[in-house]
Amino acid sequence: MNTQLRLTLASVAGVALFALLTLAIWYHPTSTVDLPQLVANSLAETGTEHPITAVLLNFRSYDTLLEVAVLLVAVVITLALAQQDSNEALSSLEQPARDSLVIALTRRLVPLVVLVGVYVLWAGSYQPGGAFQAGALIAAAGVLLRLAGWPIHQRANLLLRVGLTLGLVVFIMIASIALVSGQPFLTYPERWAGELIFAIETVLTLSIALTLLSLFLFSPEALSSQSRKPSKEKAQ
Amino acid sequence: MTTLTLIPALLLIPLVFAILSLLVTRPWRNAFALLGIALQAVAALSLSWVIFTEGASSTALGNWAVPLGILLVADGLTVTLLTLTAFIAVICALYAFFYLRAYPREERYFWPLFWFLLAALNGIWLADDLFNLYVGLELLGLAAVGMVALQATQQSLAAALRYLLAALFGSLMYLLGVALLYGSYGTLAMGQLSDLMVGDLTTQIALLLMTLGLLIKTACFPFHYWLPPAHGGALAPVSALLSALVVKSSFYILARIWLDLGTLAVPIGLPEVLGLLGTCAILYGAWRAYTASEIKMLVAWSTVAQLGYLLLLFPLALNTTEAAAHLAWQGTLMHLLAHGFAKGAMFLAVGTLVLAARSTQLSDLAGISRKLPMALFAYGLAAVSLMGLPPSGGFSAKWLLIQSALHSGQWVWIIVISVGSLLSAAYLFRVFSVSFVEGKQRELQPTHPMLDVTALTLALIAIALGFFGMIPLSLMELGTPLPESPLPTGGQP
Repeated sequence: MNTQLRLTLASVAGVALFALLTLAIWYHPTSTVDLPQLVANSLAETGTEHPITAVLLNFRSYDTLLEVAVLLVAVVITLALAQQDSNEALSSLEQPARDSLVIALTRRLVPLVVLVGVYVLWAGSYQPGGAFQAGALIAAAGVLLRLAGWPIHQRANLLLRVGLTLGLVVFIMIASIALVSGQPFLTYPERWAGELIFAIETVLTLSIALTLLSLFLFSPEALSSQSRKPSKEKAQ
Repeated sequence: MTTLTLIPALLLIPLVFAILSLLVTRPWRNAFALLGIALQAVAALSLSWVIFTEGASSTALGNWAVPLGILLVADGLTVTLLTLTAFIAVICALYAFFYLRAYPREERYFWPLFWFLLAALNGIWLADDLFNLYVGLELLGLAAVGMVALQATQQSLAAALRYLLAALFGSLMYLLGVALLYGSYGTLAMGQLSDLMVGDLTTQIALLLMTLGLLIKTACFPFHYWLPPAHGGALAPVSALLSALVVKSSFYILARIWLDLGTLAVPIGLPEVLGLLGTCAILYGAWRAYTASEIKMLVAWSTVAQLGYLLLLFPLALNTTEAAAHLAWQGTLMHLLAHGFAKGAMFLAVGTLVLAARSTQLSDLAGISRKLPMALFAYGLAAVSLMGLPPSGGFSAKWLLIQSALHSGQWVWIIVISVGSLLSAAYLFRVFSVSFVEGKQRELQPTHPMLDVTALTLALIAIALGFFGMIPLSLMELGTPLPESPLPTGGQP
């Protein structure tokens, strides 16, 4: 298929989709079930004050549990694809010469980014925030360190794998507490919901940060020699 | 053990063993995998038994009632599919123990992905919530893509990337539909939606978008392009899992969307269009399988063709008589089961042949029948079921579908089903016509006898379905705990 034909087909499909969606929204009936109101009514029993956190970690915590598994699968695939040449590539990766300005900058910036991450995690219990955002921030701090030439590219050892899986492990353990006492899966024990949700979010932050950072560190692109050179030049 | 524990156990066991397989070293990994598949099979069978004796059951996760929380439902259909998954997973895992000895590098990360794939499949069979199904599809798709990419050759990476892009696009279309439905009805629970849903324009557009997404994920013609390289290029146990189970899960969602939720919103002509796509898949898939030069590609194209039969459900079950719809639903379920077992067996048997011959070319298998009779026998039994020769699960499935078409007077689909069977015979026999030729023979590598035993077991189950097919068919009729049955097409006969 030539480019022009492809472009035409893609535009036709795009316009058709746009028209369909416009129609769908134009005619959309008013919903009979008011879910936001239901969430607000039950918010007091969830152990958190923010409706989004309540949905993510209490009402629909099962979806979040599976999403955490999705993140872990992504990093497993990255490790699987990186492993054939990673050990040699990583050990042969010489230290890029580090710019003193970049070092000074990252020294000041990274603690601040991590601090903001922790704040966002804490804020999640009463305003927008939470584990995913906090994890992304902390991972960004790691990416900064790596780009600045700090030696944080260890191989995928057991410690890293424990850190990657910790979030899911703790989540599953807390979710299974209820089964012991004959309650449905993922039920939090009464009065402990707030604490347990915060505990899950804390370990999730760590695991999500490590996951995102590993996706960056172990991506085959970053290991291949072609993409290593420009970053070295930049560092000099 | 009650359903309160058994239903989450089917998710917990795969997830826990996925984590364990990531953390432990090699000798432990195999031991844990063995323990895990045993536990998983026991859990699936016990749940089936409980549902069989006590009727359908459900668990409200987090003790939140629908629509706030998420419901997991185990009815007759669910446990049938859970048992199918458990059977095929056990056999594929046993096969993988011996097969992966030739692939030590891939073996490392095969097991975590295998367990995540299983968790996603069990999650999809049990789900009763549109968004939860989306999350399940994401987990399933990503784990499947990872398994395709495991060999990390240029070919497998290209196939995996193609698969990933198709799967992501399919997911997005599905999610778009889910968002529209949520906007219209304010709930995502399927049990609730099936009561509320009307046939207005927004609902129709939402369901059409979801259908498009799911057709891509099921690799239905003309969206099949990603399947042959992905299924044909992967390791044998991966191909078996993907063809036997993974593509079926998105079809299962598609069937539930139209037969359970959208019965009032079926646009005019949609069932016929889906049936036509199925017909094209049957014909085109058969043609490509007939002209394929690699044996694994032949089997992969045969999957494209066999998936076409599933789409015949829609013209046979929508807007027809209750009896015809019931027969169509039974036939489709039987086809799903029979194809799962037969195609699983076929990919495993072909994997053994390829492993022994160190070549994927069909022409390199000359005279192999003398050296590897058991693998070829397993292939043959699986082929009997795929062609729909009696007695086999494939025959029962096509018989039920033809009965349904007779009931509703749609003779066109009878022709399609019969021609499809003849065509599948034509391409499946190509392997025999090569393997019995006494030509120059290749040096064959020795293979472990367990590889033949596992493939043969699956093939025998596919045949046995022809005799004992009434068991799953009567099991799937068991109602649901919801007042309105989620399977309105079937109903009680």
